[in-house]
Amino acid sequence: MIHVEKRELVVPGQLIAEGRYKYMEGTFREEDKIYSAVVGLVGIKGEQIRVIPLQGRYIPHEGDLVIGVVIDTHHSGWILDINSPYSGNLFVSNLVHRKVDLNNEDISKYLGLGDVVIASVMEVSEHMKVLLETDRQEGGVVENGELIEISSAKIPRVLGRKGSMLRIIQADTDCRLVVGENGRIIILGSNHHMVNLAVKAILMIEREAHTSGLTERVHLMLEKEKTGGI
Amino acid sequence: MEKPERLLVDGKRLDGRGMDELRPVEIKAGVLERADGSAYIEMGNNKVFAAVYGPREMHPRHDQQPDTAVLRCRYSMSPFSVDDRKRPGPDRRSTEISKVTTDALEPVLFLELYPRSVVDVFIRVLQADAGTRTAGINAASVALADAGIPMRDLVSSVAVGKVDDTLVLDLTKEEDQWGTTDLPVAMVTRKRAITLLQMDGHFTKDEFMQAIDLAMKGCEKIYEVQRQALKEKYAIKEEK
Repeated sequence: MIHVEKRELVVPGQLIAEGRYKYMEGTFREEDKIYSAVVGLVGIKGEQIRVIPLQGRYIPHEGDLVIGVVIDTHHSGWILDINSPYSGNLFVSNLVHRKVDLNNEDISKYLGLGDVVIASVMEVSEHMKVLLETDRQEGGVVENGELIEISSAKIPRVLGRKGSMLRIIQADTDCRLVVGENGRIIILGSNHHMVNLAVKAILMIEREAHTSGLTERVHLMLEKEKTGGI
Repeated sequence: MEKPERLLVDGKRLDGRGMDELRPVEIKAGVLERADGSAYIEMGNNKVFAAVYGPREMHPRHDQQPDTAVLRCRYSMSPFSVDDRKRPGPDRRSTEISKVTTDALEPVLFLELYPRSVVDVFIRVLQADAGTRTAGINAASVALADAGIPMRDLVSSVAVGKVDDTLVLDLTKEEDQWGTTDLPVAMVTRKRAITLLQMDGHFTKDEFMQAIDLAMKGCEKIYEVQRQALKEKYAIKEEK
């Protein structure tokens, strides 16, 4: 038996369902009752119950695409801030994809402090030691573009259902977006008006992430700004 | 202020409340821009802010726990929060309250999800009128939920006391000062599990059991206000 409506706003400790359901992230079970653990929106898919949180820090998972900033270097790699309680570790060999002879090669030519890197999470240990690599097409040092940071809990809304929101922003503003799971987004575009417009759209999504019909409103806003703006 | 002759007149308290009535409670979630989660509570004349930062990297590093996050609460009073100036900085009283607040909140948090990190909670009293620790716990638990930290339930808290040989709920400063007993209680409302229980003064066994019942009723009301505060923050506002 389910005690809430679909996409209802719930708070910690609120009863969501009773009986044989699978409890996923954002929920917990006590006896045969399933409760919410966070402030968020209920998502029910068949037997699975989850709560999509509206707040919270980014916690790395294997396979996530993240955008990191180099905060420290050591003899065989770099430490990256990934907008999370845990920092990411990137070794040279996972950046250049070959064996590196550390005695004969100066690795500081690859990355320096403050560099922005698109990477994916290779491994997360039990103690939350995070290993990064740059093997995707997008991966590597970011040379240009605009970097913005929003709450990582709102990234699913920026992507939209099957990437629909992202497609609309990209098509309407003629920019290319790289969306890191950790709340950082890189906007690549040649026209700075359009880049600013994309930033505006993302901030609008962050503000109104908990409302429905957002994709349509973002599209309308972009159209209106484009015709009235320039 | 002079000690009034009686604290209860014609079955009413000095501020006109009944014995089992709370002071007006108002909570607002998400009030601080730079914190991960925050809340502001007004409980009678108490005005308290709570700010949550984290989970974030633990410093000093030697306090890290390899398998869980650590909850760190700090309660502090503003110098202007009481009639005589409160000397700023931690003292014996605020150290104790920080500790019992940590213990009151810890059981509901899923801290094991964030090994090696810390969750910092700062409770700041702007105006004090008895029961600041209970107000602080109420605000802190809303702030923790607002920060998106997974928790089993909210923690609600209220004090019960004895004035003129009668049990009363949610003491004011006068009742605390001239009354004979003060019993702050915090509990996980859904399970009726007590996470903070302190007592200053005397109760008989019967009085004590009644006091706990009274506190639980008070907590239930505060619990509702806390839930509303969280829902309010995300209520869909009308388009301009």
